[in-house]
Amino acid sequence: MSQTNEYRFQVNLGGMIDILANHLYSSPRVFIREVLQNATDAITARKELGETAAESKGFEGKVTVELSGSGEQQVLMIQDNGIGLSEEDIHRFLSIIGQSSKKGADLLASETSFIGRFGIGLLSCFMVSDEIVVLTRSVKEGISMEWRGKPDGTYTIRRLETELPVGTQIYLRCKPGSEFYYEPAQVEESLFYYGALLPYPVMLSVDGETRRVNLPSTHWMQDPEQLRSRRGEVLDLGYRLMGERFGDFIPLRTASGRTGGIAFILPRSINLNSKRLHRVYLKHMLVSDKAENVLPEWAFFIKSLIWTDELQPTASREYFYENEQLDGVRSELGTCIRQELLRMAEYEPDRLQHWIRLHELSMKALAVEDDEFLRIMHRWFSFESTFGRRELSELIREAGGRPLHYTSTVDEYRQITHVAAAQSMLVINGGYIYDTEILEKLHWIDPALQAERLSPEDVSLSFTGLTQEEREQYYSVLRVMDAALQPMRCRTELKRFEPASLPVLYTISQDALTLRSMENTVEETTALFSNVLDSLKAGVQQNAGYSTLYFNLNNPVVARIFEATDTQMITAATEMMYVNALMMGHYPMNRSELGLMNRSVLHFINWGLGNGQNM
Amino acid sequence: MEDTIYDLMEQAQDLPGGAAKLAILEEAARLADASGLKELAYEVRGEIVDCAIFNGYPLKALIAFSWQLGQFDQTPDEYDEQELLWTYKWILGKVCSFPNIPKTQVEDLVEDMRKRYAEYGYNERPYQYYKFRIAMDMGRLDEARQYLDTFRTIERDSMSDCEACEQSQIVRFYYLTGEDEQALSVAKPILSGRMTCAEVPHVTLSQVLLPLYRQGEADKAKDHHRNGYRLVRDDRDFLKTIAEHIEYLAVADPVKGIEVVERHLHMALDYESGLEQMYFYAAMVGLLQKLDASGDSRLIRLPASLEWGKEERTLTEIIAYFRPLAESAAAAFDRRNGNTFYTDWIGKIVQTA
Repeated sequence: MSQTNEYRFQVNLGGMIDILANHLYSSPRVFIREVLQNATDAITARKELGETAAESKGFEGKVTVELSGSGEQQVLMIQDNGIGLSEEDIHRFLSIIGQSSKKGADLLASETSFIGRFGIGLLSCFMVSDEIVVLTRSVKEGISMEWRGKPDGTYTIRRLETELPVGTQIYLRCKPGSEFYYEPAQVEESLFYYGALLPYPVMLSVDGETRRVNLPSTHWMQDPEQLRSRRGEVLDLGYRLMGERFGDFIPLRTASGRTGGIAFILPRSINLNSKRLHRVYLKHMLVSDKAENVLPEWAFFIKSLIWTDELQPTASREYFYENEQLDGVRSELGTCIRQELLRMAEYEPDRLQHWIRLHELSMKALAVEDDEFLRIMHRWFSFESTFGRRELSELIREAGGRPLHYTSTVDEYRQITHVAAAQSMLVINGGYIYDTEILEKLHWIDPALQAERLSPEDVSLSFTGLTQEEREQYYSVLRVMDAALQPMRCRTELKRFEPASLPVLYTISQDALTLRSMENTVEETTALFSNVLDSLKAGVQQNAGYSTLYFNLNNPVVARIFEATDTQMITAATEMMYVNALMMGHYPMNRSELGLMNRSVLHFINWGLGNGQNM
Repeated sequence: MEDTIYDLMEQAQDLPGGAAKLAILEEAARLADASGLKELAYEVRGEIVDCAIFNGYPLKALIAFSWQLGQFDQTPDEYDEQELLWTYKWILGKVCSFPNIPKTQVEDLVEDMRKRYAEYGYNERPYQYYKFRIAMDMGRLDEARQYLDTFRTIERDSMSDCEACEQSQIVRFYYLTGEDEQALSVAKPILSGRMTCAEVPHVTLSQVLLPLYRQGEADKAKDHHRNGYRLVRDDRDFLKTIAEHIEYLAVADPVKGIEVVERHLHMALDYESGLEQMYFYAAMVGLLQKLDASGDSRLIRLPASLEWGKEERTLTEIIAYFRPLAESAAAAFDRRNGNTFYTDWIGKIVQTA
């Protein structure tokens, strides 16, 4: 009494499949996810039914995947013992497929009913199969049905005479070119990839051998705190799921318990710009292993495994919508990590220090945002200083109650570092990302901690000034020197400082440095742009001031220059010292400076030769 | 020396955009200049322009670009003109931010770009479009309306800004003219997510807040504020956008606005663009005045980089410090632009005592 009816979808299925394969899904292998999702939904539906009816008390969901045949005859069968489809259900899911082609991806996003998703999920199978056969028996009706669909839009529906078990079986015949997706290893890998956390057995059967593919137990997902006592197991899981050997982790859980997870701490330092790749499961099924937005930005030292039932996936089911819910979840998960770090600070400082050393940038990023965190962690942060790279607690000790001096740029630090070091002066390089911000915030977490920004000019404060007598003695020489460097907008100062081997120290403010680079660029650019730069110079010049060339009277050569009486000689020596300081500091010279150098070199040669003749 | 320069560039690559990265790149440029390695110096400057323009250092970007352009004109065959011409637009997007650059020079720059684009076979859409943007920057909205009508009639080519960027500038136009309904309707494809790029919807979300709020859609405005602020809050590039969020919060939720002010003031203090700084100061003063007037006596934490910022300050003290800064900046822009646009604008959001 079998009856066959032929129908046709009012659909351009080819176009639909193209949308799915090329625009929506990232790879054909998602068909595995879609069929697993269908099976899961069917099992969930049957369970929900069981809560009201006596029918399925003690019901256990199960999915079996079977591979048979070889080459082009390969068939993949996916069987679940879920709720099954009635004849009416089949017609409904087909009509939903019919709507799909009109509304495209929008429908995929909005369709949330079991039947609707079932039909749409099934379409993805056409990416790897030219024929889909669905055998199903609904728990409600008891009639066994067969549906056969082709990508050209034709399908048949048939009542079967044999009695199927309750549930659904889907048969996919390998489409030429898709053999890869039917290889047993590939199928197993995909089943595990998408379904590792499914709460019932997912079995794979190849050549009569059957084994379980997903994790045997996932009850800890209800209460991630349990994971603390199962360290080895969790780290193994991290390796299996994330492909990396981690050494430590932090359990995650939101207050509602609807989102949980494991935050694995990366065992290596990573680049600040690297992608945050978290692996996220929605209702036990993998949504993405590239989710970037489930943890706060500062948590870049974490690679996490997250499961949730409260976030809304995008149409492709590969990302989450950025909405208020996600915002809330993200900040709660961030709080878990922060709390754990604070807890470590109290009870396991060694463990924390280890992680800070590896992920200092991440922790500093958080500290900049979060005063409480900064208050607890600051002592362990390290900074580059003239005393070497040291932890802040040590630097504070060294400073002995005096303010911590820091430069706000790497450049300024370089300008003064050798002088400061020679004088045993503690200066921190605040030029690296977050460092200045942290130093400037210290005061707010502890008023006793003061940090003071040091500019290169301030270093001179620690120089020894001249005696009144020396001042008078060298006054006229300094005037000659000032006159020589005036055109370079540089002034001279005479001091005594260590190291004696350093004859001069050139310091320049950030604004003066900008001005310098503007002036040098004016020489290199087009007439139009040099006019523009000239206009801008006025604004910069106001703040720029002069650069300063400090002569070190402790240096024997400098001392001899100041004994000289020949004005031309002093001028040439000053110019040479200036040019030399520029070269040592890698400041490119402009035309007038190059001219200066040329002139003084010639002067010295001339003078040297002249002297030789006289002897 | 070349090795050292490459090392520095690699170091810079590992860093997110910002002062630290620029310092390293500048060091590399200095070394390249000092050793006469022109091509390498050109390459490094390209990185400087890129980093500086998107992190609030337009002056540094302008200097580096000027150098590149001069070098390019000497030996055009050595370098990629496409990259340089594309960068030119970024520079034009920022030149109005410096009140010291006279209007005629700004105009000369756009003409120079027009000439160069024509020389390499690109059409006039970018030229007309930048005339539109510059007219907006200068508060000459009637002029802007004309350019808006012109640029859209020219076909897009590979030098044109992306669709999303152009659309966002049109939203900005109606935001500036106060045509709320127009602004919201032009913003639609951006709000729906159909048009996006690296800066859109970031810059658009802040410009629909007040229009929505004024139309009684407070909840929608709140949503867009939350999303929009999240997109821009860690990025120095968006100081003006952050200022627009503050302007909205001054009306919708002043207490929350304080957090935003405290979080970003240090950025504004260390900003090379006078225009964006002015926007921030003005929006902030407007907000603080609201709170002050409501009898709020809270103290605000100021960044330590501000000389007197090591102590908590009262609202009145802070207002007294920043208001003149915003006002004198606005006056300088108006002098350059030949109108009273910015002074009027500040007058609207700041209560005159």
